[in-house]
Amino acid sequence: MKRSSVTLAFSMALTATAAYCQTPAAKAAPSSSAIPRAADGRPDLSGVWWRGADVGGKGPGAPVSTAAAQGKQGQAKAAPPVTFPSLYNAEAQAKAKTLADKDDPSLNCTSTAFGTLNVSMFDVGAVAQIVQTPKFMIFLSETYNGFQIVPFDGRPHRDAVPPANRGDAVGRWDGDVFVVDKNNFTDTSWISAEGRVSFHSDAMHTVERYRMIDANTLEIEATVEDSKVLTKPWVVPKQTLVRAPFDQIMELNCSGAETLSLIEGAAKAAKK
Amino acid sequence: MKSAKIAVFVAALAALAAVPVLAHHSFAAAYDLTDPITVKGTIQSVLLRNPHSWFVLEVKGADGKMEEWSFEAGTPSGMIRNGYKPNVIKQGAEVTIKGFRARDTTQKRGMLRELVTADGQVYGMFGPQESK
Repeated sequence: MKRSSVTLAFSMALTATAAYCQTPAAKAAPSSSAIPRAADGRPDLSGVWWRGADVGGKGPGAPVSTAAAQGKQGQAKAAPPVTFPSLYNAEAQAKAKTLADKDDPSLNCTSTAFGTLNVSMFDVGAVAQIVQTPKFMIFLSETYNGFQIVPFDGRPHRDAVPPANRGDAVGRWDGDVFVVDKNNFTDTSWISAEGRVSFHSDAMHTVERYRMIDANTLEIEATVEDSKVLTKPWVVPKQTLVRAPFDQIMELNCSGAETLSLIEGAAKAAKK
Repeated sequence: MKSAKIAVFVAALAALAAVPVLAHHSFAAAYDLTDPITVKGTIQSVLLRNPHSWFVLEVKGADGKMEEWSFEAGTPSGMIRNGYKPNVIKQGAEVTIKGFRARDTTQKRGMLRELVTADGQVYGMFGPQESK
């Protein structure tokens, strides 16, 4: 009985979060403004980007609530979104059955390998900042003081650095599209947080494509490969972000001890 | 001061109201979303801190003894961007909090779903909501 309640509640959270992940981003005010460009003529991606609202905020980019998600349960259901773990091979599926919320590495302040909202630069949050320089694209995640420095001067991946939770990144321009290639991931982080079992292997490889639609709209497409755990590459749902009405993210550091103790306490209670 | 009191309502899942669920951890792992709780008491402190904020209040239990309850809210960055002003809810304020109780019932903690001040201001997990 207790177990079924846990499963149901967790499913609700998944449903709600999945709904959020699939929610179209807020549209920026109609704009015919030209794409800002750097001195080299390339698009300048610099700025703070989000979905048009923060978690719990107002606006079409805000997350769908649990209640709203529940309200849709009686309606015809669309096909469930293709997620990273939905593509697990048989061995990975078996492993996934042995894991649960309490095993989520983010509970110990480990960043994700991709991002809970299917936006890599968000990590576990809902906002990020890009700083573009002549040689580097710097992605700043609000959560966990996260960053990723992406050189785009033609250099290859580094071969003398240890695996990283967010991988090693290099970039290049494909016309006006900024392409980020990441490899050398650890195998200890998960693709997303919130207790969603989404482990990956050290063979993971991602390619992200960033394209500005106009001055205030950034479109991101990505593909995630992991031959050790997936049956085929995961094509991440296209994400459309808008420029936030502020130019500086905040700090969201992690010290999850309190909640972790609650989860550990819950686990002990469930065993009784 | 009105006597504070605590009441726990066990309701059907359909009673769940808006709960933003995005967070760095799974709320469902720590809190029983089938166990709604309503607590009325006096704010002792508001911890607008990372990674998640907490509202701590003093509540008169069923046995008349005062108890300290803590409710987890959203990220401070998200709350502030959604319009929450630091110190807007001060120590001593009487509030009613609706939320979900921790699965570990040895702890007097919960997940905040809604906080209503004595003058009717409504706050959600991530900041101000429409007034009732």
